[in-house]
Amino acid sequence: MECGTARKMIVGKVDGLLPQEAQGELSAHLAACAACAAEERAASAVGPMLRAWAGARAAENAPRLDAMWTRVRAGIEERREEHRRRAWIPRWAWLPAALALAVLALLFYPTGTARQPYNPRSFDVAVEDLESDAATVALVDKGEDLPRVIWIIEDAKS
Amino acid sequence: MPSRSRPARPTPAALVFLLFVLALPCAGAGSAAAADAVSVEIGSVYASNEGSSMDPVLGNIRGKLQSMFNYTSYKLLDRKRRSLAVGETGEFEIPGRRTMRVTPVPAQGDKVRLSVQMTEGAKNLLTTTLGLSRGGMVLVGGPSHQAGVLILIISAD
Repeated sequence: MECGTARKMIVGKVDGLLPQEAQGELSAHLAACAACAAEERAASAVGPMLRAWAGARAAENAPRLDAMWTRVRAGIEERREEHRRRAWIPRWAWLPAALALAVLALLFYPTGTARQPYNPRSFDVAVEDLESDAATVALVDKGEDLPRVIWIIEDAKS
Repeated sequence: MPSRSRPARPTPAALVFLLFVLALPCAGAGSAAAADAVSVEIGSVYASNEGSSMDPVLGNIRGKLQSMFNYTSYKLLDRKRRSLAVGETGEFEIPGRRTMRVTPVPAQGDKVRLSVQMTEGAKNLLTTTLGLSRGGMVLVGGPSHQAGVLILIISAD
């Protein structure tokens, strides 16, 4: 095996992508090639080193992260409390508005009789003129309590 | 964490109250405008001697109709309402391809004067001018319809 091929296989091994059957071949080359063996050791050490470094950084930043989450939680709680305080005001303020609407509805809602159409307040009607080209028209007045009627008798019909 | 102060927003209740207060003068203006306009309604009643029934919608004037006419059955076919300004003509379609044109003309006080013309095609069935009180009613009857006649209820408010 050439060293160039072996180095590509080392990268694959470190990434966990080297097939099982190729691992024996690589091991045989590493046993015979000191340079490739040193490359393999160095590459294999990178992963644990990065993990150790990340852990150390996380431990280092943990107090600051904790403090930040405490502030975020406090901010959320503060907003919640503020919302609760503001939400309480409309709850009672709607009451006078609803009462005013109810009073208006009661004042202007028509009574049972008025809901039906035709509630004449007066039958006092003055008929100033009465003409027809195609019919005979008559004004019928049966008293103040009854509406006045203009009756059309169509000339062409009985 | 520094708290940021937001501008105070009006509550929904405050908005409702504000709208209510603002709407009051508008309502006054509206009623003033409505005083100039005349609300004219034409109801078309089919009166006949077919059966014996009274349309429940005519319940309020049932007694009047029965004491004035000799028909046994009354049915409200159509009811149209228009708000008309003085000088504005409203055209009302009447059953039997008839048309009634109503024009409010200048009147004094609480009175309403309506110039009314009723036509059937090219024929002029009726031309009249009526003086009514607001809330008043007058009937125009006689045009034949099916097996009976039409009685038109003209009311103005």
